Amino acid sequence: MLFEVTDLEEGELALQREVREFLAVELPRGTFQPGLGMGAPRDRVFSAKLASRGWIGMALPGRHGGHDRGAVERFVVNEELLRWGAPVGHHWVADRQTGPVINRFGTEEQKQRFLPAICRGELSFAIGMSEPEAGSDLAAVRTRAARVDGGWTVTGTKVWTSGAHASDWFIVLCRTGDDEDRHEGLSQLIVDLRSEGLTIRPIPFLDGHSEFNEVSLEEVFVPDELVLGAVGQGWAQNTSELAYERGGPERWLSTYLLVEELVRERGDALGDRGLLLLGDAVARWWGLRRLSLSVARTIDRGEAPAVQSALVKEMGTRFEQDLLAALQELVDVEPVMDADSLFERLLVAAVLTGPSFTIRGGTNEILRSVAAKRLGAL
Amino acid sequence: MSDWLLVDGARRLLADTCTHEVVQAAEAEGWSAVIWDALAVSGYADLAGLGLADALAVLTVAGEHAAPVPLAEAALAGWLLGGSVEGSVSVVAPGGSGGLSLNGGLLSGAARRVPWGRAVERVVALVDGQAVMIRTALATRVERRTNLAGEPRDTVVFDGARVEEARPAACDLNERGALTRAALMAGALGAMARLTIHYAGERRQFGRPIAAFQAVQQHLVSLAQDASLVGLAAEHAGRTPAPFEIAAAKQLASHAALTATRAAHQVHGAMGMTQEYRLHHFSRRLWAWRSEYGDEQHWARWLGVAVVRAGADNLYPAITGGSAVI
Repeated sequence: MLFEVTDLEEGELALQREVREFLAVELPRGTFQPGLGMGAPRDRVFSAKLASRGWIGMALPGRHGGHDRGAVERFVVNEELLRWGAPVGHHWVADRQTGPVINRFGTEEQKQRFLPAICRGELSFAIGMSEPEAGSDLAAVRTRAARVDGGWTVTGTKVWTSGAHASDWFIVLCRTGDDEDRHEGLSQLIVDLRSEGLTIRPIPFLDGHSEFNEVSLEEVFVPDELVLGAVGQGWAQNTSELAYERGGPERWLSTYLLVEELVRERGDALGDRGLLLLGDAVARWWGLRRLSLSVARTIDRGEAPAVQSALVKEMGTRFEQDLLAALQELVDVEPVMDADSLFERLLVAAVLTGPSFTIRGGTNEILRSVAAKRLGAL
Repeated sequence: MSDWLLVDGARRLLADTCTHEVVQAAEAEGWSAVIWDALAVSGYADLAGLGLADALAVLTVAGEHAAPVPLAEAALAGWLLGGSVEGSVSVVAPGGSGGLSLNGGLLSGAARRVPWGRAVERVVALVDGQAVMIRTALATRVERRTNLAGEPRDTVVFDGARVEEARPAACDLNERGALTRAALMAGALGAMARLTIHYAGERRQFGRPIAAFQAVQQHLVSLAQDASLVGLAAEHAGRTPAPFEIAAAKQLASHAALTATRAAHQVHGAMGMTQEYRLHHFSRRLWAWRSEYGDEQHWARWLGVAVVRAGADNLYPAITGGSAVI
């Protein structure tokens, strides 16, 4: 069995109740515009409130501002935030992946500098991986760092960088060596998004929002103390960073709120087709959640469930889109961007951002290849 | 958790006995007396005498080996009557017992789609809310019917035959029946996924294993996903054998029966289209079990009605808490 059965334990269930009570008080329904899963808006004040409850950087060590808790507890908090449509945008990347990779590969000085601020919900990070010629094929990155006195100067272009305009830092995957091997000579640098020589140009997203950016670096100086991990080990580090991205509840909850609102607004008039859609979705959420929780439990045992994470992400994001298509077929709605009905507004947002579900964080085609290579373990 | 030694014992016993030839021959004969006797000697025929999780784990192993014996029915009979049943026994699903009537302890009418009705010594059916047990030797006739997997689903006709036992049903047959099918299907899906992955690694076309082709890999991944999803869901439903969990597990299993068999057959090509190769033992059983005790639509509808009744605010709590919430 790739996945082992697991349940929430008493303390974890208590945490779930605590998060539900917190959301009902701090963010009552009807008082805010909910987002679609991890695509939800940024809100520094909300992130700070979460941080004060100890719910950011939960799995990071206490001596660096974290809370020495585990992946399962982080799962419990995040699934509640996501299904509520809470504004998690400000801290999302830092909490999910930047914090853990700095904790794993960073120097003591870097940990002291960044982790406490991440855990306070202050610092926001973006991801500097993709380039115009390096999408799924990340090893093709061309952004280059040249050795100079006391550090590196970085030149190149990163693209499709979510939140770069509103974030403080990003981790840049770039070439630091002349090695012919595509996977050698790559390094990760922690780069201040307000550095001299760095230009951020917004790229309007399909839904008209400007969350996407192109980030141009023109001889941006990065001091030695901001090299993450070992020079030349960027590929291995980056692969492990991607593993943190996968398998969590954000991969199957992006279209959850549509269904909750459908039940709230039209529960009495769903008809047989609507009930079938709903029941099918509920069964799948229940099953996917069990798989996802099993991944988190495995991480807490110190293992790296890469295949399981890829299977869950591929299946979960495909479900998000299947569900959206089924909802579009079910309701007779001519969608408008500014409808009075929350269900209709969420539907519009989901239709316009939906294609990204199976692309962001590794396309489904790549995930299938990753998983297929190691299915012998089944 | 289930008893590892017990489950592993069943796995070894069935791996030894459920060879391709024996399972194939059982289709012609209606069942395999050899396998049934081996299970009975080792104590596995009295599944209801084990804990629920253990019984379901053994059923999953039976599904892995396409065991052509009424093991699930043995469990259901015991659970319905609240005790053990001697010898071989089958259970009539609620959809098949509508034609039966009980009058002064005498049973009349036709029991339909009775698993292994021609081979078992006794049948248990729900009549007027009572679980009644009767000897099949008292039937006036047995009409042979066969499901998609070549397993007997016979019509057994009684005409005023005396029942051995009649008592209030000790469990919900629809739910427990669905739970047994989910467990069997989890086993069959896992075995089918392993068989297909192995085959794709061995079978060479265009000078390389077909598993090297990305288009084929996609089928293998979708099989692994279905098997993992249903495996975990069925195990969970066994640990929490309550209506929501059972409904969700059987819904997922029945849905996967459609998608996974399609992927497995596509990978196998013409090889999988013959009865000379093992794939059909799993794919045909999955198609048959898919519709027994409620297919994916039946349970989706049940879940849909339940969560609408619970209301929008309880939708996510239901997904996390299941029957504890709704």
